[in-house]
Amino acid sequence: MASIAAAQVQEVRSITRIERIGAHSHIRGLGLDDSLEPRAVSQGMVGQKMARKAAGVILQMIREGKIAGRAVLLAGQPGTGKTAIAMGLAQALGPDTPFTSMAGSEIFSLEMSKTEALTQAIRKSIGIRIKEESEIIEGEVVEVVVERSAGGGGARVGRLTLKTTDMETNYDMGAKMIDSLLKEKVQAGDVITIDKATGKINKLGRSFARARDYDATGQQARFVQCPEGELQKRKEVVHTVTLHEIDVINSRTHGFLALFSGDTGEIKSEIREQINSKVAEWREEGKAEMIPGVLFIDEAHMLDIECFSYLNRALESETAPVVIMATNRGITRIRGTSYRSPHGIPLDLLDRMIIVPTSPYSHQELREILNIRCEEEDCQMSADALTVLTRVATETSLRYAIQLITTASLVARRRKAAEVSMEDVKKVYSLFLDEHRSEQFLKEYQDEFMFNDGSGDAPQLMEVSQ
Amino acid sequence: MMQDQEKVLKYLVSVEKLAEEILSDKREIVMLDRRRNHNREALRDLSKSAQQKCWVTIGSVLIKHNLEAARSLLEADQKQLNIDINKLRSDLRVKVNNLRDLEMQPPVQGLMLVPLSREETQGLSMSNLIPS
Repeated sequence: MASIAAAQVQEVRSITRIERIGAHSHIRGLGLDDSLEPRAVSQGMVGQKMARKAAGVILQMIREGKIAGRAVLLAGQPGTGKTAIAMGLAQALGPDTPFTSMAGSEIFSLEMSKTEALTQAIRKSIGIRIKEESEIIEGEVVEVVVERSAGGGGARVGRLTLKTTDMETNYDMGAKMIDSLLKEKVQAGDVITIDKATGKINKLGRSFARARDYDATGQQARFVQCPEGELQKRKEVVHTVTLHEIDVINSRTHGFLALFSGDTGEIKSEIREQINSKVAEWREEGKAEMIPGVLFIDEAHMLDIECFSYLNRALESETAPVVIMATNRGITRIRGTSYRSPHGIPLDLLDRMIIVPTSPYSHQELREILNIRCEEEDCQMSADALTVLTRVATETSLRYAIQLITTASLVARRRKAAEVSMEDVKKVYSLFLDEHRSEQFLKEYQDEFMFNDGSGDAPQLMEVSQ
Repeated sequence: MMQDQEKVLKYLVSVEKLAEEILSDKREIVMLDRRRNHNREALRDLSKSAQQKCWVTIGSVLIKHNLEAARSLLEADQKQLNIDINKLRSDLRVKVNNLRDLEMQPPVQGLMLVPLSREETQGLSMSNLIPS
């Protein structure tokens, strides 16, 4: 049932074919060479050499499993590539290392407590490597013979001949195997595997040698090489699952469907303890390996003091992931207290962190980034338009300039031009305000807006108490 | 200079030696499996035959032998073959990792793990955690 549903979903997707481009979709890695030296422009990364090199060192340490249970803080002004570096780190780690990305404000939800959300995020970032082993018989079917006794009734006898490139052998089959062979419609020329323990038959495809047997074949016909080597093989498959996935499945009220619906709710701590002890048992027996992954918390200043003290404690545990936080705040109030602290993070947690600063991009680097974004968004931009855009980026912000790329390309397409010109950029610059101009506009016409208290730019009390 | 050459040669010899060992082990497994399958077919035929005696080839000599004795011979051989194949496979894992180490490649992830028991695997695949 589930597989049919999955196939349908995939079909729907391929028809609609929605391709959206994310803000950091151009990042493919950290852009470092083998000796961890950052290249000027590589894998979508530009500039920020010190931070990238630092991230490279961290990456190496994560790979060697050395800094589990420590934290890294990426600190810098808005639009200096903190998220990009975290994404690059995730890409460079590869698919085997769990990487969880969350925004600091995600933990504030009505469905679960803050610490529960953090615990789930932490457990999503710890992987377990396990191995599945099975004895299989793999070969190309040379011949299937099923004999029925003359009367119709009685036991059937069957013989299956299998071969690999190195050998060939006969198997006598009982009634059950005959049934499942007939059910799978196995015929001469198919390449099949038989699980020795369960007797499950799996059709891999048809052998290339038999590709010319028929003129017309169904769409599903898949051709594979005749297997090599021994017939009876040992198949070992290594899986990586995260602790959170195991938690969800064992959280009885939901069952495994909760994994896909995303609505997991709170997981009881007894279940977590049971799973922890089971995993510890597996590790003791050499059945499982722990892979400490990476938990990335963007906008870490949104966490409050409870979360920080929880993290402080969680980092002590021997199975803690590497926590990477990013913040763009300077010295500010720690959420939930009236104390001020650098980056809005308490000093005791800050003390455990490696702090990696990012600095504003230079003019040339901005140009390079805008160029990469133009390529990513499939937009031809003339050289002078790019120069103007770079000016805009230096004077306002990189994010605003990147937003102008898409809008300018739409304007250019409107007048059926292949290339975005300077005029297009100027037009969208006048159409869409950046924050500075917007602020100026508001100041000028403040009196005409609603709810004006007339006090000009007096800071509003924004902090919402929990 | 001379020393460097010697060092490189020594390194290459060690890599080639290990690689050749792995290949020959793989061939050995294929050979043993072939014999295992032949034995299995023979055992099957023996159980079906109604005669008291059967022909057994030992090397290039054909001997007429007692059926029961032939069967126990084959069964003993089968047991030994299973042990040998399993041993070769386990050793192969270590050798492959050693070779990768020599070639400066990272070891195969999870190669040395002890496999989960069948019940555990079944439980995980039932809950769709791992593909069945």
